[in-house]
Amino acid sequence: MDNLYLFAILAGTRVAVDAGEVEAVVRLTDISPVPGMGAHVAGLSALRSRVLTIVDVAAIVHGRPTPADQRGLAIIADISGHSYGLMLDSVSDICRVPEGAVPLRGQLDSAWAPYASAIVEHDGHPWLLVSLSAFIESASTAQAA
Amino acid sequence: MDELLQEFISETQETLEALAGEVVAWEADPSDRDRLDAIFRFFHTVKGSCGFLNLPRFERLSHAAEDVLADIRAGERQADPVTVSAVLGLMDRIGELTEAVAMGAALPNENDDYLIAALNTPPGAGADQVPAAEPVEGEAAPVSVARPQAPQAAPRTIRLPLSLIDQLMNGVSDMVLARNEMSRKLRDRSSDAELDTVFERLSTCVADMRDVISKTRMQRVDRLFAAIPRMVRDLGRDLGKRIDLTLEGGDVEMDREMVEMVVDPLTHIVRNSIDHGIETPERRRTAGKPEAGRLRVEARQSGNQIVIMISDDGAGIDTGRLVDKAIAAGRLTPDAAARLTEQEKLDLIFMAGLSTAQQVTAISGRGVGMDVVRANVERIGGVIALDNHPGQGLCITLRVPLTLTIIPGLIVRAGGQHFAIPRAAVVEILHDNNDMLQISEVGGAKIATIRAVRHSMVDLEAVLGMEKLPQPGPRAIMVVRSSTGMPFALGVAAVDNHEELVIRPASPLVMASGVYAGMTLPDNGRPMLLLDAAGLASVARLPNIVEDDAARRQEDESEAAGVEMVAALRFEELSGERRLLKLSLIERVEDIDTSLFGKSAGQAFVRLDGRLVTVVNGHSRFAGDKVCALRLRDGEQETCYPVAAVLDIVQMPLVPDMVALHGLLSGVSVIDGEHLEVLNPFALFASLPQERPDPARQGRCILVESEDGWTREILAPLLRQAGHDVTLGLPADTSVDPRDIILCNGPDTAQAGEMLGCRVVQLRASPRAAGPQDGSIYRYDQDALMAAIGGRQG
Repeated sequence: MDNLYLFAILAGTRVAVDAGEVEAVVRLTDISPVPGMGAHVAGLSALRSRVLTIVDVAAIVHGRPTPADQRGLAIIADISGHSYGLMLDSVSDICRVPEGAVPLRGQLDSAWAPYASAIVEHDGHPWLLVSLSAFIESASTAQAA
Repeated sequence: MDELLQEFISETQETLEALAGEVVAWEADPSDRDRLDAIFRFFHTVKGSCGFLNLPRFERLSHAAEDVLADIRAGERQADPVTVSAVLGLMDRIGELTEAVAMGAALPNENDDYLIAALNTPPGAGADQVPAAEPVEGEAAPVSVARPQAPQAAPRTIRLPLSLIDQLMNGVSDMVLARNEMSRKLRDRSSDAELDTVFERLSTCVADMRDVISKTRMQRVDRLFAAIPRMVRDLGRDLGKRIDLTLEGGDVEMDREMVEMVVDPLTHIVRNSIDHGIETPERRRTAGKPEAGRLRVEARQSGNQIVIMISDDGAGIDTGRLVDKAIAAGRLTPDAAARLTEQEKLDLIFMAGLSTAQQVTAISGRGVGMDVVRANVERIGGVIALDNHPGQGLCITLRVPLTLTIIPGLIVRAGGQHFAIPRAAVVEILHDNNDMLQISEVGGAKIATIRAVRHSMVDLEAVLGMEKLPQPGPRAIMVVRSSTGMPFALGVAAVDNHEELVIRPASPLVMASGVYAGMTLPDNGRPMLLLDAAGLASVARLPNIVEDDAARRQEDESEAAGVEMVAALRFEELSGERRLLKLSLIERVEDIDTSLFGKSAGQAFVRLDGRLVTVVNGHSRFAGDKVCALRLRDGEQETCYPVAAVLDIVQMPLVPDMVALHGLLSGVSVIDGEHLEVLNPFALFASLPQERPDPARQGRCILVESEDGWTREILAPLLRQAGHDVTLGLPADTSVDPRDIILCNGPDTAQAGEMLGCRVVQLRASPRAAGPQDGSIYRYDQDALMAAIGGRQG
């Protein structure tokens, strides 16, 4: 943990992601839909010769799929051997926060509860520290249920 | 390097120490197999490591020892005291060398050859010359040194992390994609011959690279077999059975992912065989069989498949009990059971939840049955077959593709999107306006009746929740065989193409939908999903009931007619006729740039993957940029068959309805009420030129007037392009072979040529012959010229 975080707007919320989890942030070009899947899987996209499963985080958190024309950026992450792209609203910064994560205060929206456990202070604002693999896990379990 | 060396030294010394006791024991009893194996492994390890560390002396010593030990292991050589002593001598020498290396001292300068020679001395011949331990220095080398047993250089190997190879694979895939994109970009631009050549070369390099890299994925089947002996021994002991296990074909190579996928089914089959197949020694004795049951696992490569056969001489499958169980489980009516053939009864073993085990044991019968085995094998594109001899044994054959990653697939379109489906899963493709097909709907359920057999039918769009787009042409109906259940009819907008697909696993999120088996990235860079036939059936909740009446009727019909059916491709010739060709001959169907086609000496060629491939139906000029072509292969020869369009895959009788051997055709078959000519594969391949003419055998074309501009600039290139070996001017050494052909312009040189005793082709500049005796050929009459050269070769 070198306390390096990616700060981004994800599903309309300020979040921080441990940079160790992030492989890259790319602009999505072409997403081929995967029919027969819930809204949480936006489709497949090819990044060079890799095929990314594009996950619509807004659909997982709020149950509202992102409209096709607002699909822009995605965080590329390698989670248990598979490449995923998690859709983002925007990216604001990558920087080191020496004090690291601090415990969460206040009542967290239940929609976010499974994914966030702490906050990171940056730029005078609190940012929710989320775990990318938690999104994928929750997407898989939601489907199984 | 130092670190590795250090590791090598410590490892070797450790093993030497540990082996010390073993060696003594081995000396006492040279037939002790386990100790022999341990010693063999030691030499093998040393050889492997020192090849890498560049320690040639170690390598030679250990290699020689390994060779001899391997022979002993294979039973080709006796572990006589002489050999044992020689091996011990080698071990001691390795110990000394290791010590020297460890201390950084100069290597002791003894003669290794002597030791190795001692090892290779035939038993008896040099027995008295070989001392038990250290050889005395300076002693005359034994006579056997003269026997040239050249130490073979072992292929040098290194160990690499798998992730590195995967990275390499990905890199090459990237390269291929970049190449494809570049080729698209180049096509848009005006053509530049020089650039095209360079690009062509790049393409070849990339293709070669891909081939080589894919080889790194191969792994010996040994790994698959590794766990079997132990399992057999343990199971045999638990169950009180004696089993004689034979493993064969461990050196066959297959994709390492495929190895992983086959481990479970194979383990299961072996367990079953020991648990249910092979009887207890008492029972075997009463049955008149040897007490030890025979279990044989064999792997071999057959084409692009790996065949794994597991055979035992146990009790086989009691089909009667299977039927009883199926009836008891309510899966089969007694009526239907009475009509089952032996093979169908046998197939019941693949029905979920049935087991012949009389009681559930700890070993098998835990609910994981042959149905799961079959599903696993078929998921990877494999086939499982049973050969049952009740009371005599059972032979199970698994056929799996060589690699997991490349499978032949059909590209289908539905809801405006493309999907792939393994070709092995598709039994038949029909258009929905076909007379043989009748689709009816009742209460939302669709039923497709094809040749009096009712199939459950679903539209792919409906299963996937897509919108069914209106389309002008007929829809395609595929009869899909799911691994676990009944064949069903799957409606798609169209079947577009047939391709070799590189399949990669899809993420668990996507797999969870249950209808996809993987994904593939075609050249256009848009990911495509591979459909899972069994998954589609279960997601669509298709009833899994054997419709035995109709099936029986159909079978009776075809049995009555005695017609054996084979899959065939229906296509349209460039000349417009519709014809059939046996599907198994077709390696692939692809669109080929028409610019790659050409004609030479009356034989049409196409340039594919940097090679010239014959075009069997002789077409070389086409309208348009691309032509659809069938690529055919008979195992060795490859040829290309351009067609106007590929229509569908149908079942055709093995023997045409009307046999009429004529040219490339073998007869006429009636398929779905349409008369179709059937291509004769024999004639097709027989018509190919056996090889490109071999210039050395064929003789040279000697162009006498080497100074003549026309001869140099026009004739010589023409002949070279046609594959002839061209010599300008009479050969200086005047050694003219009678097979050579002399081409000349003037009558005087023609006479001179005839005096040399070889054939002469005389050319003239005027289109008209000088007179009736003039045997010359007008020099721009290419056909006549080629015929003259070709025809005069005996």
